[in-house]
Amino acid sequence: MAKRVVVFLNQFFGQIGGEEMASVGFSVKDEPIGPAVAMKMNLGDEFEVVGTVIAGDEYFAAAPDKTAEEEGLPLVEPFKPDLFLAGPAFAAGRYTVSCGAMCKAVSKALGIPVITAMDPDAPGVDIYKKDVYIVKTGNNAREMPKTVKKMCALAKYLCAEHTEKSNMFSLQYLPDPAEFDYIKMDRLYNIFTEETVAKRSVDKLLQKVRGEKYETEVEPDRFETFPAPEAIKDMSKCRIAFASDGGLVPKGNPDKMLTRSNLKWKAYDIESLYKDYEVAHAGYFNDYVLEDPNRLAPLNILKEFVAEGKLGGVSDLFYSMPACTTVSKQGTANGIEMAKMMKERGDVDAVILTST
Amino acid sequence: MRLEMENVKITDIQEADKTHVENGVLYINKKELEEVILEDEKIASVEINFAKPGQNVRILNVQDVQEPRCKVGVENADYPGVVGNFCIAGQGKTRRLEGAAIVVSNPTTRRVENGLLDMNGESAQITPYSKKCIVSLTYYPSELAEERPFEENIKRASLRAGVFLARAAEGAPVDSVDVYESSPLDEKAQGLPRIGLVLQAYTPQFDYMAVPDKIIYGTAISGMLPTVLHPNEVIDGGLVGWNAMKAIDTLSFQNHAMVREMLSRHGKEINFVGVICVTANTMLDLRMRCSSMVAGIAKHVLCLDGVVVEKILGGMPHADISTMGVALERAGVKTATFTTPLTSAGTLGDTILYNDKELDLIINAGNPFEKTTFKFKADTFYGGTAETKIYSSEQVPQFAGDEQIRVEQYLIAGCQDHCGSRNVITKEF
Repeated sequence: MAKRVVVFLNQFFGQIGGEEMASVGFSVKDEPIGPAVAMKMNLGDEFEVVGTVIAGDEYFAAAPDKTAEEEGLPLVEPFKPDLFLAGPAFAAGRYTVSCGAMCKAVSKALGIPVITAMDPDAPGVDIYKKDVYIVKTGNNAREMPKTVKKMCALAKYLCAEHTEKSNMFSLQYLPDPAEFDYIKMDRLYNIFTEETVAKRSVDKLLQKVRGEKYETEVEPDRFETFPAPEAIKDMSKCRIAFASDGGLVPKGNPDKMLTRSNLKWKAYDIESLYKDYEVAHAGYFNDYVLEDPNRLAPLNILKEFVAEGKLGGVSDLFYSMPACTTVSKQGTANGIEMAKMMKERGDVDAVILTST
Repeated sequence: MRLEMENVKITDIQEADKTHVENGVLYINKKELEEVILEDEKIASVEINFAKPGQNVRILNVQDVQEPRCKVGVENADYPGVVGNFCIAGQGKTRRLEGAAIVVSNPTTRRVENGLLDMNGESAQITPYSKKCIVSLTYYPSELAEERPFEENIKRASLRAGVFLARAAEGAPVDSVDVYESSPLDEKAQGLPRIGLVLQAYTPQFDYMAVPDKIIYGTAISGMLPTVLHPNEVIDGGLVGWNAMKAIDTLSFQNHAMVREMLSRHGKEINFVGVICVTANTMLDLRMRCSSMVAGIAKHVLCLDGVVVEKILGGMPHADISTMGVALERAGVKTATFTTPLTSAGTLGDTILYNDKELDLIINAGNPFEKTTFKFKADTFYGGTAETKIYSSEQVPQFAGDEQIRVEQYLIAGCQDHCGSRNVITKEF
């Protein structure tokens, strides 16, 4: 049986009208319209485009994710699709966002392959590249035939039953980003190579030693450097909070923090945390911290200082991001959120960061 | 130094009255093997099982994998300081049972992260160990044993068992001989780039119960100063595996791919001068001392032009890779430094744990913490039972008898190793 395909388009490509019709709400056709006709041809007999969902760019602009989830998704679901395509949106600001929002909503709810297409610099890319396949385009709709062809090639790969041996250690079948020309989705996986790590490293070292051209296998991001903040003048008025990557969480780990590659953070009530806790961190032996969490972040010492008048106070929250082998960018993002929360509460003058 | 490695190929394994090798079949008298193992009074009992490629067998609580080997024509020279007397490893003749492996299981361990090996099913596609003829040894401690020393006891007993099996192949035809011979003074190597290997062999962050594993000539290397070794010492028993699976085991050292790659080019493209063996360090002064001494040895003692700096498991060892690499580059020794991306979310650039501008040749050695979800219905379990817990970093309860489990690759014996032997790279998708 042919796989069922639903396509999302804006008012222009959906043949309703130009910018003057950009505020138009959703409409549904049970046939392919505009680019969806080209998709039908490229996909061939094993696919059937069963519907086209259309909405205006401006209609989407105010709350793209909410609009997609609450209005767009209920129109897609009845078609029982096996594949969802949106756009291509090229470099159009609002259209790239609505395509991304629709794809994300459909993927999350239905778990089917979703594909859109955009210019790599378009605003929709940064928001949705981790969640949906975005085929690369230029900024001009003249590339329509080429782009539709690429989207359909990727769609066929994603919908295929793979029986060949996977070249991935995780035994998955992910499309090659270069071959299928999609924007990388912040996923990292081990693949099998022709040459061993040993052979590659000696080859490359020899190129470097001989003064030949050599290519690194990883180009690290450069960390931001910033000046240290001013020292605290009067500790007796200073209120301190702990932020730690050491993995201290309430007993039972209610937020399901991971012991490795965790990306989440949470502020916990420090008094109850120190009474009933566990450790979510696989990068060190947790025994000493499990015996006494003051070894990770010395709350007992700070309390003594407060009692002696040496310190102004201790925050009643413990900021925890278990961070064994995680993504540094996520650490930065979480740090910004923590700082924002501390500022809003207005009860912290300085933070002690403890690591393991 | 010259080492002749006699390869006796093993393609099958069977129980027999007499332990010997004939036509590629390793015949084992279990009683004899048991006696060799039970010489150690800390071991109450051992279960001996055989597992072959394609069988629906899952081996659990794996702590080491070893290739059966013995020294030929010399007594008490196997694994100096562990099994044999102290002597220089890497010389003379060694017999190896190629294609056979001893898998060491410790079901009474209190460690939560333990290795496993399937002989069939999906995970058998991603580890070369599933294609070997396996002697599975499952150990139980006597009342005299304590948890941590017991791990050393069973590693040593298994090495002795391997020596016994390799010796039993005496008289069997040798299929091939590899000669590993090198000296920095070799005439053919003069004028070629002087190359070394910085071998990070251990990290104390995995000192279980605050006791380090003994992996070099019978001693621990936590806190150790850099040590210079001849390449042959690494592959001929000077180093043995850790006490737990960390994508490194005795078999990885015995067949150390970086060492063998460099040896194979000695006198042709390079002068392979030597190996500098180091541990990662948890304390800053230890790390900086080690880094500066590595640079001194490399530049002024071994007079190297270039080194590969190889990394062991963990996030923190990247810090040592980085400080050693920078010290080496500043001393004028060119480097290729390893990284192992440790998460499956992100880009290669933002998961790497160092970014010194001096380190401009970084080798992507694969992510040992990557997870594989795989199906396999075992009908036989060695080293544990269907109820044995399988570690999940996502904290999802799972058991050896489940039809599908999700496991980090460093716990699948042989899937990844830190010696450069795997055909792997971590790629952005």
